Amino acid sequence: MKQLTALLWAEIQKEHRHSFHSKMVYFSLLIWPAIMFVTAYYSFAPFRTGADSPLARFLSAEQLPLFLLTGYLGYIFFWCLVQSAWQMSFERQAGTMEMIFISPVNRLAFLYGRSLSSLVEGVWLFFCFTLLALLFVGGMHPSGWWAIPLAFFVLLVSAIVWGGFLSVLFLFSRDASFLYTVLDEPMLIFSGVRLPPLAFPLWAKAISFCFPLTYALQLVRGLLMEGAPLSALAPELALLASVLLLLVLVTVVLLKKAEKHMKETGNMVMY
Amino acid sequence: MLIVENVRKVYRVKEKGSWLRQQWKEVEAVSDVSFRMVPGKIIGLLGINGAGKTTTIKMCSTLLSPTSGTITVDGYDAVKEDRFVKAKVNMIAGGERMLYWRLTGRENLHYFGSLYGLHGGALRSRIDSLLLQVGLLDAADTPVERYSKGMKQRLQIARGLINDPSYLFLDEPTLGLDAPIARQLRKHVKELAVAHGKAILLTSHYIHEVEELCDEVYIIDKGKLVAHDTPAQLTQSLNLETALHVVIPALSASLDLDLQKLAVRYGGSREIAETDEHTWEVTLRGQTDMTTPLLSLLAAHQSPVLRLHTQQPSLEDVILHMADRRGA
Repeated sequence: MKQLTALLWAEIQKEHRHSFHSKMVYFSLLIWPAIMFVTAYYSFAPFRTGADSPLARFLSAEQLPLFLLTGYLGYIFFWCLVQSAWQMSFERQAGTMEMIFISPVNRLAFLYGRSLSSLVEGVWLFFCFTLLALLFVGGMHPSGWWAIPLAFFVLLVSAIVWGGFLSVLFLFSRDASFLYTVLDEPMLIFSGVRLPPLAFPLWAKAISFCFPLTYALQLVRGLLMEGAPLSALAPELALLASVLLLLVLVTVVLLKKAEKHMKETGNMVMY
Repeated sequence: MLIVENVRKVYRVKEKGSWLRQQWKEVEAVSDVSFRMVPGKIIGLLGINGAGKTTTIKMCSTLLSPTSGTITVDGYDAVKEDRFVKAKVNMIAGGERMLYWRLTGRENLHYFGSLYGLHGGALRSRIDSLLLQVGLLDAADTPVERYSKGMKQRLQIARGLINDPSYLFLDEPTLGLDAPIARQLRKHVKELAVAHGKAILLTSHYIHEVEELCDEVYIIDKGKLVAHDTPAQLTQSLNLETALHVVIPALSASLDLDLQKLAVRYGGSREIAETDEHTWEVTLRGQTDMTTPLLSLLAAHQSPVLRLHTQQPSLEDVILHMADRRGA
């Protein structure tokens, strides 16, 4: 356990010094998601959002700012991990990936440690902004005092598991950066960040349930906006846990295959 | 002991083809290579570019898996029990990669140490000891991007030693370094083997480096081992010619004739050239040392000797000779 903690701490320090070396990085990590949120909010302005609008069946106009804030908070958690996985190409180019894989370090601990450190560094500022904004906007109905830390925990764990999965995909190939295009925008559209998935047509609903962010957001909104008790959220919690467990299993299998593939093809040094 | 037995590595390489129909070809990078690494000894792996040196090193260090054959490290199989092998090996490559440039030297070592399960006071004292060993203690808290090439290379050495490996692979460790720094590094590598009992495998394009450091040399060409011996034995075994250079003030016709006869008698050849100082440089080449008969001949002709030196065949000559022979 001490070794694992030491590894996580070393990974956090490395990520901090390597990727979050300047105040401007933090500034961009606040300003960019904030701009996205404001843009999304005002995108609804020209449309009807009242009781007779199509959206009203799923979301009231008063809930819209909260819905968007929680949506973007969840999205930023997951987006950070797409970025972090994308950064694997740097490790390839710098030759440091070889030095990681020459060591006996637990690969899964490395992947999840890397995800955790990128996540914490990437979201803390926007998380604080969101919390302040939520208080300012008002209308929150948390299930209890524990709802906010639980919501944070749900997002944290879901995003880390997602990040580990993405990092493995980037281990397979130097050309995996196309995944950034394939996963990032669809995740924003279909995961219920800006619109409730229930409002989607059937084919879009099918896509939305491919992203763990969809399940995580349902749970977070249930905790923060609807004031649902834990017993009522238990089925959603179980569903999210199952999805994450499945994702961890797939990650473990793919990780073994990725390392075997790298050892056979020597593509660890190709960039 | 690290034992490499009949190891072969074949890569599948994509050839040009259409989107729907791709063609693959197999390229044999290493073919039937066997050798041993013993504690306290440095072995050299020599060959021209593309010979299979780096592929061999990467297989030994578990970064690549052999297509066939076995590699065992202290009894552990490098493929099936790689977790145990990884704790015992490390690799140092030349150049400036394999480090995090924005991190300081100390932070780099801290990170790589944690990958080996080191932590707390043990890791901190190991880092200090390594930084002292490679002379980087004063620059320990400076970001690596501000290091000179030699400093980065020394940090690479410290990184390669962070897990106190029993088997160390050095792939062109002095590539691009200035002569004094390269000499310092060679001294350090020798110490690692002699004083610390590490088994070291070295590849280098600088042949004198291999001659100076290695107890044994393996020559690899097109993926196959073509020779194995001590550097001295390798040069002797191929019976390459020794060149004997002598500078004399004057060259009479009779001396010229006698020099020709001497070269023929020893199965060699003779070259004569007038120098800028209006003296004569005679070069006798042959597989036998002709120093004594040459000096006797010059004494008989009452010819003073201005300069005399012998040029022994080098390991470089051996490699070039072998490459020519295999290419022919």
